[in-house]
Amino acid sequence: MRPLEGIRILDFTHVLAGPFATRLLGDIGADVVKVNSHRRAAANNAPGSPYYVIWNRNKRALALDMSRDEAKDVARSLANRADVVIDNFSFGVLDRWGVGYEAVNKSNDQVIYIQMSGMGGGGPWSNFVTYAPTIHALSGLTHTTGVPDGGPIGLGFSYNDHQAGLHAAVAILAAIEARRQTGFGQQIDLAQFEVGAAMLGPSLLDYAVNGVNAQPSGNQPPYDQFAPHGCYPCRAAGDDILDERWLAIVCRDESEWQALVKAMDSPSWCTEEIFATAETRCEHAETLNEHIAAFTREKDATMLMYLFQRAGVPAGLVQTGIDLAEHDPQLAGHEFIQFAEEEHPLLGETFIDRLPIYFEKTPCNTYKRSRLLGEDNASVLQDWLGMSAADVQRGEEAGTFK
Amino acid sequence: MPTRCQALTKTRIVDLSDDKSIYGVKMLADLGADTVRPEPTEGDPLRQRGPFDNKSGESLWYAYFASSRRHFSVNEASSASLYELNALLSCADICFLGRENPLAAHVNIDAARISNPKLVVVDVSPFGSSGPWADFKAPDLVAGALGGSVGVTGDEYTPPLKLFGELNFTISGSYAAAAALAGLHHAENTGQGQCIEVPVHECIASSLEHVFMWYYYHQYFPNARAQALERRGSLHWTNLYVVMPTKDGRMMITPAPNMDAQLAWLVEEGAFQDLLDPKYEDPAQRRDYFARLMQVIREWVAEQPSEELFFNAQERHAPYGWVQDIAQVSQNPQLEARSWWQSTTIAAREFKGPGVPFQFSKTPAQVNDEEWLSSDDSGVPETLGWET
Repeated sequence: MRPLEGIRILDFTHVLAGPFATRLLGDIGADVVKVNSHRRAAANNAPGSPYYVIWNRNKRALALDMSRDEAKDVARSLANRADVVIDNFSFGVLDRWGVGYEAVNKSNDQVIYIQMSGMGGGGPWSNFVTYAPTIHALSGLTHTTGVPDGGPIGLGFSYNDHQAGLHAAVAILAAIEARRQTGFGQQIDLAQFEVGAAMLGPSLLDYAVNGVNAQPSGNQPPYDQFAPHGCYPCRAAGDDILDERWLAIVCRDESEWQALVKAMDSPSWCTEEIFATAETRCEHAETLNEHIAAFTREKDATMLMYLFQRAGVPAGLVQTGIDLAEHDPQLAGHEFIQFAEEEHPLLGETFIDRLPIYFEKTPCNTYKRSRLLGEDNASVLQDWLGMSAADVQRGEEAGTFK
Repeated sequence: MPTRCQALTKTRIVDLSDDKSIYGVKMLADLGADTVRPEPTEGDPLRQRGPFDNKSGESLWYAYFASSRRHFSVNEASSASLYELNALLSCADICFLGRENPLAAHVNIDAARISNPKLVVVDVSPFGSSGPWADFKAPDLVAGALGGSVGVTGDEYTPPLKLFGELNFTISGSYAAAAALAGLHHAENTGQGQCIEVPVHECIASSLEHVFMWYYYHQYFPNARAQALERRGSLHWTNLYVVMPTKDGRMMITPAPNMDAQLAWLVEEGAFQDLLDPKYEDPAQRRDYFARLMQVIREWVAEQPSEELFFNAQERHAPYGWVQDIAQVSQNPQLEARSWWQSTTIAAREFKGPGVPFQFSKTPAQVNDEEWLSSDDSGVPETLGWET
C-alpha cells in the first residue's frame, strides 16, 4: 500500500510546475485525475508530447470541455468529491469556471484547494503571466547565477518549476495532516515567485542585515571560504557535445585540502605561502585554479574522480544527459531509469525517472504510462460520480467529455 | 515553539539534518511542526556557513535555514546527555538524519523504532546507502555536477556552472519534506512508522526539466544535434526564452506563448523589419522565421528601457521577466503587497527577513520564533513538553 492511497486529487494543472506536484503525489499513491480538453491539448499540453508524457505518469486522464456548461457541472461534482483541487492558472480562471475555492468549499468543506499561480492572489502583479524563466529573472535567480563581470547567465533549465511543484506537494501533504487534526480543509495560495525568492533566503537576509547586494561568483561559493571549489577541464573523451570533459573538485577544510595535495603527489606549488590557509587559497583562487587545471587537463576525469574520492576529496564528473542515462553506475544500480508498464499508444516505450524516495514499508514502484486525452473518462466518472457507461458515452458524443 | 494553530502544530520533529535536507526541515518547521534541533556543545557546524552578520558574526545562513526551531546542546562526551538525545526519539513523529550532522552518529535508530514504532526516519544522503558511489562525498557543487544540473548551466565561454548558493540541496530538502509527510500520513493511518531514504543524486536528476527528454526523445526535436544539449547561457531548450540586454539592464524575453501577439507588438512599434516577408509563410521556413524573430526582438529590446518594457509586456500578457538583483527583489512591490516579508531577529536586532512561500487560509505558515532550551542533562523531553 502506497502512502497516499485513498486520496483523490482533481488536477487542472498544465506545463511543468503543477504537473510535477501531482506526479509526485500520484507516484505515492494518490488517485490523480488530470483534466484536459481538446481545446487545450496543444504543444506541451498535448498528450502525445514527450514533455507531457514525462510529467503526467501515474494519473488518470479526463477530458472536459470547460467551455460547455455541462462540463462545468461535472467539474463541480468532481470537486465535491475531491480531497484536493489544484491548478496553476493565473488567479481567477477556475472561479470563472465555477469551481473556485468559494464555490467548492460551500459544498465540500473538507477540500484542500491549492492555487499555484505565478504571482499569487492579490498585489499589483497578481495577473502577471509567468513561466519558469520569468520567475528566475524576477526573483534574483538569473542575476546571481553567472560569472563575475560576465552578465547574468541564469539556470540552464526550469529549476523553479520543479521547486514550485515540490513546494505544492509539501503544502498539500501538510494540509492533509492539518485536516486530520482540525477536521477542515482550506485554501492554499502558493506563489511561484515567492518560491523563487525563498531559494535566495540567505542573500536576502544578507542584504537586509549588511546591505550586501549578492553578485554572481562563478563556481566559487558566494560566502564560504572553500578552495579549491570549481570545475576543472580534463581530457576530452571525444563523445561529448562540446568535446570537453570537466571534473568538479571541492575542498571545504584543511583535511580535504591535504588529501587533495597528497592525491596529486604533492606538487611543489602546493607549498607556496599563498596556498597555506583556506583564506589565502580563496584570495588566490584564480592562481590555485590554474594549477589544478594544469594537473587535470590531460587526465581522464573518471579516473581522477575515483582517485580523489578514495582519498577523501569531494570530486565528481560534470555529467550530461548521456552520462546520466548510459554511464552512471549509481543510477543504474538503483534502476533510476525504468520504462512504463505499458507502451504509450503514440510514443511506444516511454521512460520513467523513478521517484527519488525509497520507502521501507510502503514502496512506490508503480509507474503507469501517461494517458491520452479522455482515456479514462469512463473509469473516472464511474469511480468518482457513479456515472454509467452509457451516460459517459452520451457526454462524449455531445462533446462534454472531449 | 509555535503558539498559534498551524498545519503541523501537533507534529514533533527531531532535526539531525545536515545541509542536504535542512531546507526541508525548515519548510515543516515554518508550517508549525514542533521542531527541535540538538547541537554539539561546541556548536552546530552549520553555524559556520556564510553570510554572517557583520556586527555580531552570527550566521545568516543558519538563521534562515534553521528557522522556527527549538535548540539545545548535547554533550557528545556525556552518556547522560546522549541518553536524553535518544529519549527524544521515543516521543517524536519524524526524525531527519544527515551524515554530516555530528550528532546523527549518536542516535540509536533501531532502539528508537522499537520504543516508538510510529517513528518516521528520513535519511538524506548524497547517494543513498547502496551502490558504487554510496560513500562518495558530495557538497552542493559536486552533487550538482554528478546530478546533471551543473552540466546544463553556464555558457560556451564559461566552465559548467554551479547554481548560486545551494540550490541542489534545496531540491533534496523539498523532496525530504514531502517524504516525511507522506511517511507521517501512513503512520497516522496505520500506526506503522518506517525509514525513508532520499538520495540527493536522484533528487537532482529527477528535476532537470528537459535533460532526459532530450536523451530519450531527441528525434522529436528538429534542433536536436545530439542526445544532450550543450550549455548555452540563458537560452532555453525551446530556443524561445533568453536574456537580452535592454537600454539600461537585462530582460528575459520570450515571444511565447502567443507569437502572433508578439509580432503585432513589433508591427505596432514599427520594429518588425522583414518579419512580414511572405517567404516566412512557408511552413518550411518556420525555423528561420523563429531565429529571425528572436534577432529582431533583440535589436528592438536593446533600445527599450527595462521598466517600461516589462510593464508593457505584462500588460499584453507576454511573460517577459525583468532581471532583478537582490536589492531590487528586496523592494519588490508584489512581495510587499502580499506581506511576504517577516520580521527576523538577528543578534537582538529586527530585520525584514524572507517569509514562507505558501499562504494557508486557516493554518498560517510563518517563520516562528526560535528558542534556546537550557538543559542540565536531564529531562529534555519534559522540558520540551514531549512526554509520551
